[in-house]
Amino acid sequence: MLRAGLLSALMLAAAPAHAFIAYVSNEKSNTVSVIDTDSWTVTKTIKVGQRPRGIEFTRDGKFVMVAVGDDDTIQMIDAKTQGIVDTLPSGPDPELFTQDAAGKTLYVANENDNTVTVIDLEKRARLGDIQVGVEPEGMTISPDGKTLINTSETTNMAHFIDTGSRQLVANVLVDARPRFAEFKHDASELWVSSEIGGTVSIIDPQKHVVIGKVTFEIPGLRKEAIQPVGIGMTKDDKTAFIALGPANRIAVVDTATRKVTKYLLVGQRVWHMAFTPDEKYLLTTNGVSNDVSVIDVAAQKVIKTIQVGELPWGITIAP
Amino acid sequence: MMLRTLAMAALAFLVAGSAARAADPRYPNWPCAQAKVPDISLAAVWAGPPLDDAENKWKDDSKVSALVSKLAARKTPLDEAEKSVKEFLAGSADKIANAKLLFAGLFDTLNAQRAQVMSGLERISHKQREAADRIREDTVQLQTLQDATPRDDGKVDAMSNQLIWETRIFEDRRKVVRFVCEVPTTIDQRLFALGRVIQQEME
Repeated sequence: MLRAGLLSALMLAAAPAHAFIAYVSNEKSNTVSVIDTDSWTVTKTIKVGQRPRGIEFTRDGKFVMVAVGDDDTIQMIDAKTQGIVDTLPSGPDPELFTQDAAGKTLYVANENDNTVTVIDLEKRARLGDIQVGVEPEGMTISPDGKTLINTSETTNMAHFIDTGSRQLVANVLVDARPRFAEFKHDASELWVSSEIGGTVSIIDPQKHVVIGKVTFEIPGLRKEAIQPVGIGMTKDDKTAFIALGPANRIAVVDTATRKVTKYLLVGQRVWHMAFTPDEKYLLTTNGVSNDVSVIDVAAQKVIKTIQVGELPWGITIAP
Repeated sequence: MMLRTLAMAALAFLVAGSAARAADPRYPNWPCAQAKVPDISLAAVWAGPPLDDAENKWKDDSKVSALVSKLAARKTPLDEAEKSVKEFLAGSADKIANAKLLFAGLFDTLNAQRAQVMSGLERISHKQREAADRIREDTVQLQTLQDATPRDDGKVDAMSNQLIWETRIFEDRRKVVRFVCEVPTTIDQRLFALGRVIQQEME
């Protein structure tokens, strides 16, 4: 009896915390790398279409959607068989997309024709297009699903679109080349990164005004080398992680003071990131060093590097 | 006819080539699609303690400088180089000091190697421009010879052979340039990867 108790206690201790599966799109090698977060190794490399960038799990965790821009479509990977099973009807050159909380509607930014395509995820059918700013890039949706945000790299604006009427309701000017947008989980703020401006603008989503800015300074690095792109926000909205491109670092930002508390050297040209569902780890894609860095979120420390394909761009982790 | 097509193709090529080249006005001779970054800044690859006098001292340490030459050589596979870093630091008495010396050496050496490759690329690019001008002139001359009455077939042949030869050299060089354009990035990657291992070993 005692022995059995001891044994099960031992087994419990030895059991891995929780293994998750991460999918990374490799823009140059036209593949998706599958990473096991228990062994921190690449367990499979899936051949996909040309120039894969935006990548996301469906909310039910059954499929991974990957935008293959040069093939003008979004491919669906079955998470069980890890093979491509279907495509979604995006517009030309899809780069990034976002889905509503229910996982029913997908909004795709098509870089080449200045539109956002709306797709019904259940029927896998195109519902229509929304005309947006020139070269749409960043895409996100408000937690209540009512407002779609799209950033345009040419007009330097964040466009607010009402998802019900599919009409533009507001434009907010930010710094040069806005690339990525992320809401706080409580919907109180919208953060937009500007790659060339080198800042992150914080917008009041009700009043549609910029209420603050996060700036970055790394001694010894020229300002042009600091190019904010991907943003990750913890569930309690207290800490934001911001990828700084060729500065090769992730900035850790205290969202209350809007100041950087720490810079973590990750890999070369860090683009995007994803948390594990338990929020213990944050994984970043590093485009030039062709690897993924693993950050221990609580310790705010890089603990691991995993080699993937060429030019890793996007990342998604199974819910 | 055949020749004229060839010459036209060569010309079309040259024009396309010079258009691609004009990307950054600061570096008119830079032949690569990749942006020219003149040197790697220390902060882009190093988040460890200040290097202080390690920047001057690494050369005086024979063990460090020998290891630096081995690690900096592109023929040493990266994983083997990373292993050598770990072994060297594991076996050293003053790990932090040695890590700083080793990194300072790699930073110096790889940055110099990179600068050399880049100036070589710009030199070739300059030569290519001269070759392009020559091909352009010779094409015009060939056309004049072909249209002349009476036509001197000997001269036409000689000029067309010369043109074929010049175009071939131009093409070969262009291929080499495209290949060499990847080298500065490869060096960046090596420096970053080795720097990262050194910093991890210091923690």
